[in-house]
Amino acid sequence: MTIQTPNGFKLDSAGRRVVVDPVTRIEGHLRLEVNLDDRNVIRNAVSTGTMWRGIELILKDRDPRDAWAFVQRICGVCTGTHALTSVRAVEDALAIKIPENANSIRNIMQLALQVHDHLVHFYHLHALDWVDVVSALSADPKETSVLAQSISSWPLASAGYFRDLQQRLKSFVSSGQLGPFKNGYWGHPAYKLPPEANLLAVAHYLEALDFQKDIVKIHAVFGGKNPHPNWLVGGVPCAINLDGTGAVGAINMERLNLVSSIIDRCIEFTEKVYIPDLMAIASFYKDWLHGGGLSSRSVLSYGDIPEQANDYSAKNLLLPQGAIIDGKLAEVHAVDVRNPQEIQEFVTHSWYKYPDETKGLHPWEGVTEANFVMGPNFKGAKTKIESLDEGGKYSYLKAPRWKGHAMEVGPLARWIIGYAQNKPEFKEPVEATLKALDVPVTALFSTLGRTAARGLECQWAARKMKYFFDKLVANLKSGDLATANTGKWDPSSWPSDVKGVGFTEAPRGALGHWIHITQGRLANYQCIVPTTWNGSPRDPDGNIGAFEASLLDTPLADPHKPLEILRTIHSFDPCLACSTHVMSPDGETTRVTVR
Amino acid sequence: MFDHDDSFYQVIRRQGVSRRSFLKFCSLTAASLGLGPMVASKMAYALETKPRIPVIWLHGLECTCCSESFIRSAHPLVKDVVLSMISLDYDDTIMAAAGYQAEEILEETKARYKGRYILAVEGNSPLGNDGMYCFPGGVPFVEKLKSMAADAQAVIAWGSCASNGCIQAAKPNPTQAVPIHKVITDKPIIKVPGCPPIAEVMTGVLTYMLTFERLPELDSQRRPKMFYSQRIHDKCYRRPHFDAGQYVEHWDDEGARKGYCLYKMGCKGPTTYNACSTVRWNDGVSFPIQSGHGCIGCSEEGFWDRGSFYSRLTDITQFGIEKNADEIGAGAGVVLGAAVAAHAAVSAVKQVSDKKNKKNKDL
Amino acid sequence: MTLNYTSDESARELRSRAIARASIYVFEAPVRLWHWVNALAIVVLMGSGYLIGSPLPSMPGEASAIFTTGIIRFVHFSAGYILTVALLGRLYWAVVGNVHSRQLFRLPLTSLRWWSEVLFELKWYLFLERVPKKYVGHNPLAHLMMVSMFLTTLVFMIGTGFALYSEGAGYDSWQHLLFGWIVTLAGNSERLHLLHHLGLWMMGIFVFLHVYAAIREDIMSRQNLISTIINGERAFKDDEP
Repeated sequence: MTIQTPNGFKLDSAGRRVVVDPVTRIEGHLRLEVNLDDRNVIRNAVSTGTMWRGIELILKDRDPRDAWAFVQRICGVCTGTHALTSVRAVEDALAIKIPENANSIRNIMQLALQVHDHLVHFYHLHALDWVDVVSALSADPKETSVLAQSISSWPLASAGYFRDLQQRLKSFVSSGQLGPFKNGYWGHPAYKLPPEANLLAVAHYLEALDFQKDIVKIHAVFGGKNPHPNWLVGGVPCAINLDGTGAVGAINMERLNLVSSIIDRCIEFTEKVYIPDLMAIASFYKDWLHGGGLSSRSVLSYGDIPEQANDYSAKNLLLPQGAIIDGKLAEVHAVDVRNPQEIQEFVTHSWYKYPDETKGLHPWEGVTEANFVMGPNFKGAKTKIESLDEGGKYSYLKAPRWKGHAMEVGPLARWIIGYAQNKPEFKEPVEATLKALDVPVTALFSTLGRTAARGLECQWAARKMKYFFDKLVANLKSGDLATANTGKWDPSSWPSDVKGVGFTEAPRGALGHWIHITQGRLANYQCIVPTTWNGSPRDPDGNIGAFEASLLDTPLADPHKPLEILRTIHSFDPCLACSTHVMSPDGETTRVTVR
Repeated sequence: MFDHDDSFYQVIRRQGVSRRSFLKFCSLTAASLGLGPMVASKMAYALETKPRIPVIWLHGLECTCCSESFIRSAHPLVKDVVLSMISLDYDDTIMAAAGYQAEEILEETKARYKGRYILAVEGNSPLGNDGMYCFPGGVPFVEKLKSMAADAQAVIAWGSCASNGCIQAAKPNPTQAVPIHKVITDKPIIKVPGCPPIAEVMTGVLTYMLTFERLPELDSQRRPKMFYSQRIHDKCYRRPHFDAGQYVEHWDDEGARKGYCLYKMGCKGPTTYNACSTVRWNDGVSFPIQSGHGCIGCSEEGFWDRGSFYSRLTDITQFGIEKNADEIGAGAGVVLGAAVAAHAAVSAVKQVSDKKNKKNKDL
Repeated sequence: MTLNYTSDESARELRSRAIARASIYVFEAPVRLWHWVNALAIVVLMGSGYLIGSPLPSMPGEASAIFTTGIIRFVHFSAGYILTVALLGRLYWAVVGNVHSRQLFRLPLTSLRWWSEVLFELKWYLFLERVPKKYVGHNPLAHLMMVSMFLTTLVFMIGTGFALYSEGAGYDSWQHLLFGWIVTLAGNSERLHLLHHLGLWMMGIFVFLHVYAAIREDIMSRQNLISTIINGERAFKDDEP
């Protein structure tokens, strides 16, 4: 039986059910179930978040100035972006203005995260969906060298280099202990790269692994450590002291030089390694344009990277803000994260309880109470699940909707919106990429498009880091050394009942935190994170989310080795620890705070 | 082809590494751990003769920051750890396999390396809802954890989640998350707390175990003494300012710019056992205090529930209210002072009237 | 016969003296010396301890030239050592000294007579009894407070204090050997700091009550108190039994 969803997808759950659990090479725990027709094409897809930690419940009654540290622990992969969102939400609620230097430093940190996260995602979480490691063993190192030198001027490209690497790989494989490469889908027909390209990619897998640890030194300089650097409501914790007493230990010339040199290396690595690899790999897969899902219809971005401090309006944000619905690229809608009619979360198919589950709730009004029940077609026992029933509740993710629409978020969404808004920074690289690969603009709406947008964004972010570094230095030159505004540090200076919202564009997409502060304490804290949008279960009307939509109509070469499913789901860079959340705002505060 | 196990040395020799550079590697690694040249030759011998030890890395309720930290290791590089030192046979964050092909590896390891593999655990298990707040593979994580621990040689608790419960176990602990020693009771557990632990501390603990074939010396909380026997405060480079009485009083004030002590900003360095102020983070670039923010005590048990990260004194919440020791003391003092004043007043009245009575009697 | 420091015993001791309106030598010199050393150490410890928890405003100048917090901590630790050594000396004196020197270290918890006089003293403090009893040593309520509030807090502060000190002294120190288990018992360093800090206030409350009760009893009871701890002589204001 075929069902037509309101958002335009055909679902048929009659065929054989295939379960992929755990989905690996992601953050957190995700389960996928799909139904295949007799030609092994996916006709129904079910995405399930299988973990819940209750962090927002833990945040209740805490000091809002501490909240960044708590929410930062939502995710250690996109580390920092939740913290930034949190301090923005608190500053919004309390009308705190941060200094320009703090804005530049925060932007550099957020962009460093984008570069790091995208690079690690491409090489270490996603590459093995395109690259057959075992095939690299039979590559000709000389040919690999020729290939490498034809696509980039990156110096590590001699035949000897690749021969040594291949030797190391051969020995590794012949030791019998394959480690993380054990039981991969090696030799799968969906792998299309020639051995030489595979060897090149494996070499860069290892180089990227070495390089990524240096990118985050930017976080260490400004935030003291990575993962989980430190942030501050009202600015940034690192003080600047260029040439006074005690400048050693503060942000000084040596620290700035370190940051600057890493930024230069980021630009070089993305331009000479990441982008050429991406283009080379894409050129072999441009016939495999599955996995578009919602991207051709509904995409959303809140925007991020404020040019000037304290202005979060669309015109001041370098990453675009907007929403596209029903594939109408000509019309980019404005987004208001405060409007209770725009963003709402539903729990009809989520393991939570609402008083009225036909209605959605804006996060400021959000309610959550865990409710782990299964639909009638569920198979297995409570603690041994065989297959879930998507007709009932089936995920720890809620279903967020923008004006009732399921939306895709992430690099592709941002770049589609930037493209639709005719912003040259976004439109020109997209057009150049499409032209280089000789594919039409519709190729953008695919798994490959998602992966390519991430690469373009990595390059964009690396260059923007440089921009904000120069801006920071220019501001320091003008004599402004301020990094924090402590005028409202003391809770006694706060209003007794305020609400705020902070948003960022996390590497994986639009991220928002909605907070309610009463008597100097958090009365409610709600996050809607990118993977909640993308991995969302169905809503009361039956609209499916981005993960589920993207898997439909994809043929599997071998249902026992669902490489195609991993490839498409990985292209979203899922983060499940982020996406499952709860906080109940209805419980009355019993705390008596005595100061 | 896959049936024999080779030693680290055999593997890297086949990978084209000369004996000379192998020995150099050993002495560098030994030096980075603060160990002498004698140890380097021992390490070389160990790596020459032993097959790579299988490591099973499980993820429960966590945020993956420990894995992220691990891959930041600068010495040894994580690629060398994974390719040449250990055999990381299962780690859902980076492994190629997925679904049942991934789960198969767990059973195979249990059978083939019974009592000979290391179980590394990131995150912890929730006990609420029959364990179904975390069910990778469709079964409660706690079952997977117990099953893999049963045949492990030793268990490493990576990070504060596995060691102490960390964020999901902070009040009110909605999922009833518990540190792993609550569910694994019959195996040696090495705790490497921190949110996350320092990369080189993680690889240092692991390589110590491989090299010396024993657990590192542990303290009473089962933390390796080599990294957790002193407080951040004990070796903080800002300590002279603490002793001098020079403090940051407000963010970005003169003291902050001069690098004064962050004690008054709530720094938890004086109560936190970790190696941050010596090993430092990200290849020694910095650590929280060096970058101007106090330590939040992330390697200490229950650090989420000790009051604000920015207050010097710990909050006490046992009475349903939240106060620090000084507020409670001052409160008690005021109550007592009032009571004593009243008592003294009544005593004075009694004394005067008694005297009067006595006088009357005497008259 | 068990020693229970009740009014009966005081009367007996008084009767053993030939003269009425006896002044009895109660607190021997080492006990008095200990009292005043202790008092001084506690005041210093409380003041310096408070300043360690809530430091003074920042000092200007080069860190190499000043040592303000360092001195405060040094004073705190020194006073702590003096307090500890003094207590050890006091313990020795309890063995060799007179019967009153032992009162601090033993509670006659099984004596009903003693408990009834605790109740009596409580009533006296609540103005429910008009005429107090005579005591050569501490009265039973004071005795109870001395052991339960003062001695316990003192031992607690010495124990937690040295446990905290052992954190800095390191795992190889004798302080860690003797007191390290207290850190483990407390769970972690921060909770130990908190308990030690709460002990400061407990001791503060004791000092306050102690001084108040001594002055009040000096005026209102039938024996003097303040001069006793100075010259050791307990004098009585009347000859009634």
